[in-house]
Amino acid sequence: MTDIAFYTLSALAIWSGWRVFRVDSMIRATFALMVSFISVAGIALLMSADYIGVATVFMMAVEMMVMALFMVMFMMNPAGLNPMQMVHQYRFSIGAGIVAFIGLSVAVLATNLPHNPLPAGRDTMRDLGIELLGASMLIFETAGVTLLATMLGAVALSSRNGRFGNSEEGALPPGLHPGGTPAGRKVEKGGGHGGHGGHGGHGGHGGHGDHGMKESDKAGDKGDTDAGHMHHHAPAPDEDHQHTPKKEH
Amino acid sequence: MTLTAILIVASALFGIGLFGALSQKSFVMLMMGLELMLNGTLLAAVGFWSFTLAGAPEGQLLAILIMAVMAVELAIGFALVVAVYRKRQADVIEALGTMKQ
Amino acid sequence: MSFPVAFLIMLVFLLFGIALAAILDGVIYRRIAGRPGIPVLMPFYRAAAHLSRQRIETEAPDRLNWFLAIGGYIAVGAVGLAVVPLGPESAVIGIKTSVVLWGACEALVVVLVFLHGWSPNSPLALIGAYRYVAIGLPIMLLSMFVLIAAALPAQSLDLREIVISQEDIWNVIRQPLGLPLFLLLGLSLTLRGPFDYADSTDLAGGTAAEDSGAYRAGWQVARLTMLVGFSAVAATAFLGGYLGPVLPGPVWLALKTLVVMVLVIGLSHLLARMPVARMLGLIWKVLLPIAFVDLLLAGLVALA
Repeated sequence: MTDIAFYTLSALAIWSGWRVFRVDSMIRATFALMVSFISVAGIALLMSADYIGVATVFMMAVEMMVMALFMVMFMMNPAGLNPMQMVHQYRFSIGAGIVAFIGLSVAVLATNLPHNPLPAGRDTMRDLGIELLGASMLIFETAGVTLLATMLGAVALSSRNGRFGNSEEGALPPGLHPGGTPAGRKVEKGGGHGGHGGHGGHGGHGGHGDHGMKESDKAGDKGDTDAGHMHHHAPAPDEDHQHTPKKEH
Repeated sequence: MTLTAILIVASALFGIGLFGALSQKSFVMLMMGLELMLNGTLLAAVGFWSFTLAGAPEGQLLAILIMAVMAVELAIGFALVVAVYRKRQADVIEALGTMKQ
Repeated sequence: MSFPVAFLIMLVFLLFGIALAAILDGVIYRRIAGRPGIPVLMPFYRAAAHLSRQRIETEAPDRLNWFLAIGGYIAVGAVGLAVVPLGPESAVIGIKTSVVLWGACEALVVVLVFLHGWSPNSPLALIGAYRYVAIGLPIMLLSMFVLIAAALPAQSLDLREIVISQEDIWNVIRQPLGLPLFLLLGLSLTLRGPFDYADSTDLAGGTAAEDSGAYRAGWQVARLTMLVGFSAVAATAFLGGYLGPVLPGPVWLALKTLVVMVLVIGLSHLLARMPVARMLGLIWKVLLPIAFVDLLLAGLVALA
């Protein structure tokens, strides 16, 4: 009975994990990953990890919900209704995946694994609670502080208000003298190729714009071909580089 | 259900995750690959706890830590994606090729 | 009580609960609106009408997820009912982490309602889905605080132990903040009243805007299933579950579930609606701190 459940859940975990990268719809991919997690949670329950198993379901449902929102936000084609090339270095990746799988499996099969199973009828939840707030409290608290730092970092990274003002206006450092031109490099706004008019007074900042753009475009294309695909995911190269900072040569 | 079987399933999940993380162009899909690798790790951790530790609770602690790592990865990952997108309108990895310049 | 018996009782409980909830919804609405009459058969006529109608599909829907969202919502509500103990040591799903399992069900509700709004490939449904995720995730945190507070006196995450810990005094008296907050969560879980940001009328039905025929009936049944499951969990965690004199346990549980159900339906017709942004402010700035105070007080009482 346990064996049947284990093999079914394992098959489901691996199959849905595989589907994540094979379906066209991003929503389906995200929730396929959730199914994979829930299957692993089921296996954990079979191994009498009562709390870990159920908490995994809880955590992953929330995480994948957030993931799905970001998927819809950042994908051009979240429902997979149009054909699209979404992968690069495909052969290498397949090779790496297979090598990782075979390597780990051989290691598992070659090792003489110790056998010292969980005693039957042990209250694993009580164990975990005593451990978390007893011997390993420092580790647990460290995880808590790490999560707090993560929250702060995430807010700082995604906040619109940077150190030098609103991020949508470009992060510009203050001028060298009050009211002067910003120190350091200049962020170009409003169109890649035609925007020199407004920068007449800024000396050498705007002059080499065109040249720099073309070079970076070329470099980008070359890099793409090397990676083994021809399709740009972004709408057009021009728009792609709209907000690229220009450099001085 | 033996430890060997569990570890092989875990390594399969890890392999698929690695394939996904390396092959996907979108940031978000890359993070899904990382999550799948962590999924395999979680399974292996729980398996080792259940079969080799005679019920010592440290194995469960490791599983809890893996979940915390997942949460951290997700939060920081999305914050970075949002920051990069604001700055460069980029949502694929190739668009970051010029970051080092 | 053996498993088949418990399962059968749960099934009967669920079917009667759904029918009663549908009737109560109409009756209470009419009472509050001051209109005469008790429309007992109305929901059944409406269900029959939906079932006999043809189903209309949108363009390029996500068929699998559409079906799974409705089926999953029903299943999650039923799991909520299944973790509730019908008597000492006789829950259908008797695991030691039943409170966490219920929490996982709450999280899955957000996923399933989102899928239900996503799958028809239509704008109003998707807006409803997005709004619901924004409201559903923070309000779930609230329920976690409240439920952990309810679990503290029992020193266990098992609903069976939580009932036993209420033999002297019910949690609703011991933790007066708990039940009101949990009822607000119930409004959100069952997509009702002021917390109904998914299926509300200002979006022409929101995620259910494109449902027709059997799917529409199915979605309404799913919401009622969730109402029954939620009410049973609330009655168990705060009103002492099956505990009570003279009458057998399941009857007490049914009576208390009925009380919670009437409260939820009444609140859903009485409370005022708010814009999403204001509701988010209310949840994060007012309700969550109150829930935290509830947890803090429960912890202090447990230490004392």
